[in-house]
Amino acid sequence: MTAEILLRFAYALGIILLGLVAYWLLTQRLLSRAKNNLNSLLSPLPNKPVIIYFTTPDCVPCKTVQRPALNKLITLLGEKLHVVEIDAAERPDLAKTWGVMSVPTTFLLNAKGEARYVNNGVARAEKLMEQIQTL
Amino acid sequence: MTSQTLQKVDHSALKTNQLFIIFFSLVAFILNQPFLAALVALVMGIGAVLKTPGFGIIYKSILKPRGWMKPDVLDDNPEPHRFSQVVGFAFLTAGSIALFLGSSVLGWTLVWIVIALASLNAFGGFCVGCMVYYWLSRLNVPGFGKLPPEGIFPGMKPKVEARA
Repeated sequence: MTAEILLRFAYALGIILLGLVAYWLLTQRLLSRAKNNLNSLLSPLPNKPVIIYFTTPDCVPCKTVQRPALNKLITLLGEKLHVVEIDAAERPDLAKTWGVMSVPTTFLLNAKGEARYVNNGVARAEKLMEQIQTL
Repeated sequence: MTSQTLQKVDHSALKTNQLFIIFFSLVAFILNQPFLAALVALVMGIGAVLKTPGFGIIYKSILKPRGWMKPDVLDDNPEPHRFSQVVGFAFLTAGSIALFLGSSVLGWTLVWIVIALASLNAFGGFCVGCMVYYWLSRLNVPGFGKLPPEGIFPGMKPKVEARA
């Protein structure tokens, strides 16, 4: 009985682990896609951290939360940060290429142009700042 | 996208519901107890009838009053979440019936689908049942009249807190 429970517990852990690995792979795929697409978007690279920010004109959280958060970062970091804003409604091709499913979506890339983080949905200034500090 | 009136939806109640569904379904699998899976289905079914998250009562009566979980009230449509619960109820009921009939693989697969989708909702903020609801709404299926909140991908959790 105990052995069966332990076995089923191991199965459950295995399935959960598989799910986590699948999620990690998905994120990695998105980040690697971002790296491949950066050159077509920014050439030459600005040699500083970059935030690629996908939005649309009718996106309310973009206006009320995401844009102010980015403005705060721009004020704090000034020339040390480069922000690229993309209207996903105007450029659906870019949104598709970058694998953007919702707006706002922010990609954070380091000075070498390597994509390190992707935030699906609103990312507050504090979170973005933490991510920038680890780029 | 046309404008529509959104309601205040407490996502903490939804999350509590999802976490309990995940927990009890996992325990049912580990202990090989189809009755527990059926019990979870029953709670979800009662919740669907009462138009409230099945395990939301635990949030309302214990977690929220004691401050163990804070309200997360967002402007959202409650209908897609209710539909999502109905879908979960259908999967768990089908899974439980399969288990009682001796089809372990089918039964537990259905239970695991519910666990996976509830986890995606609880930890990833993406409600697959809601996405299906919005698809059906886009196809003008009767009874599915709501559109996703503006700027939100169908099924994603809204990010703007409701104004009091």
